Amino acid sequence: MTAQPAPVAETGYPWPIETTRLDNGLRVVVSEDHTAPVVGVNLWYDVGSRHEPAGQTGFAHLFEHLMFEGSQHVAKTEHMRYVQGAGGSLNATTNPDRTNYFETLPAEHLELALWLEADRMGGLVPALTQETLDNQREVVKNERRQRYDNVPYGDAWLRLLPLLYPAGHPYHHATIGSMEDLNAAGLDTFKAFHARYYAPNNAVLTVVGDVVAGEVVALAEKYFGSIEPVADIPPAPAGHLGGPATSPASEVVYGNVPAPRVYLSHRTHPFGTAGYDAITVLATVLGSGRGSRLYQRLADGARIAQPDFIGSYGVDLAHAAAPLIITATAKDGVDIATLTTGVAEVVASMRSEPVTEAELGRAKALLTTSWWRQVSTVAGRADTLSRYATQFGDPASAAYRLPQWQAVTAGDIAEAARTLNAESRVTLTYLPSEGGTE
Amino acid sequence: MSLVPTRPEPGQARPYSFPEIRRVRLAGGQIVAAHLPGQLLASATLLLDGGAARETIGREGTAGVLAKSLEEGTSARDSAAYALALEGLGAELTTSVDWDSFRVGVSVPVGLLPGAVTLMAEAARTPRLDPADVARVRDDEATALRMDWAQPGPRADAALRADLFGAGERYGRPLNGDPVSMAAVTVEDVAAFHDAWLKRPGVLLVAGDLDKLDLQELAAAAFANTSGSAPAAEGPLDVPVAAARRVLLVDRPGSVQSTLRLGHRAPERAHPGYVPISLAATVLGGAFTSRLNHLIREVKGYTYGIRADFAMARRFGRFGVSSSVQTAVTTPALVDTVGEITRTQLDGVTEEELAVARTWRAGSLSVDMQTPSSIAGALATLVIHGLPDDYYPTLRTKLLETTAEEVSAAAATHLHPGGLTLVVEGDAAVIRDELVASKIGEVVDAEV
Repeated sequence: MTAQPAPVAETGYPWPIETTRLDNGLRVVVSEDHTAPVVGVNLWYDVGSRHEPAGQTGFAHLFEHLMFEGSQHVAKTEHMRYVQGAGGSLNATTNPDRTNYFETLPAEHLELALWLEADRMGGLVPALTQETLDNQREVVKNERRQRYDNVPYGDAWLRLLPLLYPAGHPYHHATIGSMEDLNAAGLDTFKAFHARYYAPNNAVLTVVGDVVAGEVVALAEKYFGSIEPVADIPPAPAGHLGGPATSPASEVVYGNVPAPRVYLSHRTHPFGTAGYDAITVLATVLGSGRGSRLYQRLADGARIAQPDFIGSYGVDLAHAAAPLIITATAKDGVDIATLTTGVAEVVASMRSEPVTEAELGRAKALLTTSWWRQVSTVAGRADTLSRYATQFGDPASAAYRLPQWQAVTAGDIAEAARTLNAESRVTLTYLPSEGGTE
Repeated sequence: MSLVPTRPEPGQARPYSFPEIRRVRLAGGQIVAAHLPGQLLASATLLLDGGAARETIGREGTAGVLAKSLEEGTSARDSAAYALALEGLGAELTTSVDWDSFRVGVSVPVGLLPGAVTLMAEAARTPRLDPADVARVRDDEATALRMDWAQPGPRADAALRADLFGAGERYGRPLNGDPVSMAAVTVEDVAAFHDAWLKRPGVLLVAGDLDKLDLQELAAAAFANTSGSAPAAEGPLDVPVAAARRVLLVDRPGSVQSTLRLGHRAPERAHPGYVPISLAATVLGGAFTSRLNHLIREVKGYTYGIRADFAMARRFGRFGVSSSVQTAVTTPALVDTVGEITRTQLDGVTEEELAVARTWRAGSLSVDMQTPSSIAGALATLVIHGLPDDYYPTLRTKLLETTAEEVSAAAATHLHPGGLTLVVEGDAAVIRDELVASKIGEVVDAEV
């Protein structure tokens, strides 16, 4: 049996999309789908850690926590109770680019979600107290310990960013921020942060599921319409970079890790560009799945890398050249030099050995499945539409991503691979320290 | 105009329905399928009665090595050709082993499902299992497990499990084995496990647009090269509870957090009290607004999160609480946690708390089951625990109708704060004295 190509999609978004802008600037996106009695509500605020000045790292993320602690008409702890009490699930995330808030509920609770989101967009500041700030600062510090500090290799992302982006660049520091900056955070700073960025004209509201578009727009007007826009929202510092890095950077970390591991990383292109589409397909050919070059050559072939810990992926950042990250972990008895050389050779092969039709077909088929999986839930669909509305001005442009991946050629990948050279490479290495766990 | 001050009332509730289920015997095996009209993706899972409970003591991890070895080539093609064929369809083999089942699954655009199921069955039924490949996979799995065990959590989980179920029993050993047992797995163990459990037909679970799928075709692919019948089911275990609380201390020098794993034994999944028992856990530590998360995270700021649940398998269950707390507050966090469990056991739950728990759980049945994979998972629950086709609609009704008295009674009967095992994995030199002084239980060093 030969591999059959996955069907080529004309569109990655075969559902209706309606977009409106309220007078206060809030963009409202609705996508109806009546197959299940659920609704996904999603808000993207165009503020992330890239907006944070020096000395205030981690503020955007800590602020995300504060948004769950009550607002003008919602007492502390009631936000979660109302949503879960309605049968819903909810969460929020912060990354360098943006902050998103989302909930999925049985469809009859749509209004509840809109009321809660409007109240914390328009009425957070009166409810913000020192006690809440102090408590959530501790929660965030515990999040940092649990996710980054207490886990082998857990701080790799925190170490890669300053190697990839120069000081002063909006992506130079990690979203979780530093303990010192978090400790110094004062209540007034957070009130000012909300007043500056949590404005209707700095947000996109997307509603997907068992709803009627016209009714959603009317409800959006009812709940959000009174919130005043903010003039002159300050932009993030410019993310312009004069092309790829011109000299390599590296760091070696000796720590309590069970095996040597290497990360190779490059700045590539911003998410949403043709160059980044080529990088996305390249990363899949190179390091996604058992049929990838890294797996076939280093885990299966030379057997110098652990099969569960090898791969490559792009981090989908849109406001500057986004990183491609390639990682491998040594098998027992393999030294770090052998591993690093092996990974570098496979990366170089992306330039020197043309990608075959079978490799390309495999990568596109995997990306096709992952795309449909991402939009298989109302929450995934809502987040996708919010992203494209926020970052590219039109939610309907989400439909193009999948066809654009499918249009990437071997030549595009060869071109993209030219930037993955040793001169522009960041190398982060972890080595077990003396006396560390084996 | 200003913000709307009052919380809106819900609209008209949409009727709940679980997808239509079809059970058919075809090609010598059983298919259980859920019809998802219009769904672009489809999912298929081969559910085999070859869970971790079938492994030999001391060789825990055998099923996991077999799962990884399935992709090391088949009777028809080598591993590279297999990866290219399967991933060329956009599919990746999902394998999982739990106490009761061995699962192999694929999820793809619906038109590609027949090809993906054919390849899935080829791997499950006719793997090459070349001794050199199996030995290498075993070594890789042992290394991966060592990597995993370097993180906080697995050692604490193992200490709790051994204490609750006995280190000499399979249920008292880690689900996926430990680095030592994994390294002890032999090529013969793996081949014998495949012969015993993966050659029986099992059940094929299908979730997708059945108007676009031919179940006969899928069954013919899934059940080719099979023989034998399902093994007889064994009954549930007893639920012994310890006479006194104990603290098991697992040393992790230099740890900036302490990992907490508290637990005791509990009934099996098919127990008639499942709904009130699990609702009690939801109030105590299931929802974000639960008693434990409210006190330990939101009021005290000790942790990023804490949860309590009843994990229930076919023959046994366990009540458990898990969290990671900063080292300096290990003892107060533990005291507060035991306090909330005790309060729940003694005083039960309030109607207000239960209202949130029951509507959340009922609503989750819609919210959590949007994808073919999640529907296939729900079908697996029906098959493993012998539940009827109307189980989910009935479960929803029961969740909404269970009273505070019933949930309080379940908490009183099935929570045992006095018999808890309290595992603490952290920097023993820093936390030991305060743990001892708290008198929360005898402090014992755990050998993990």
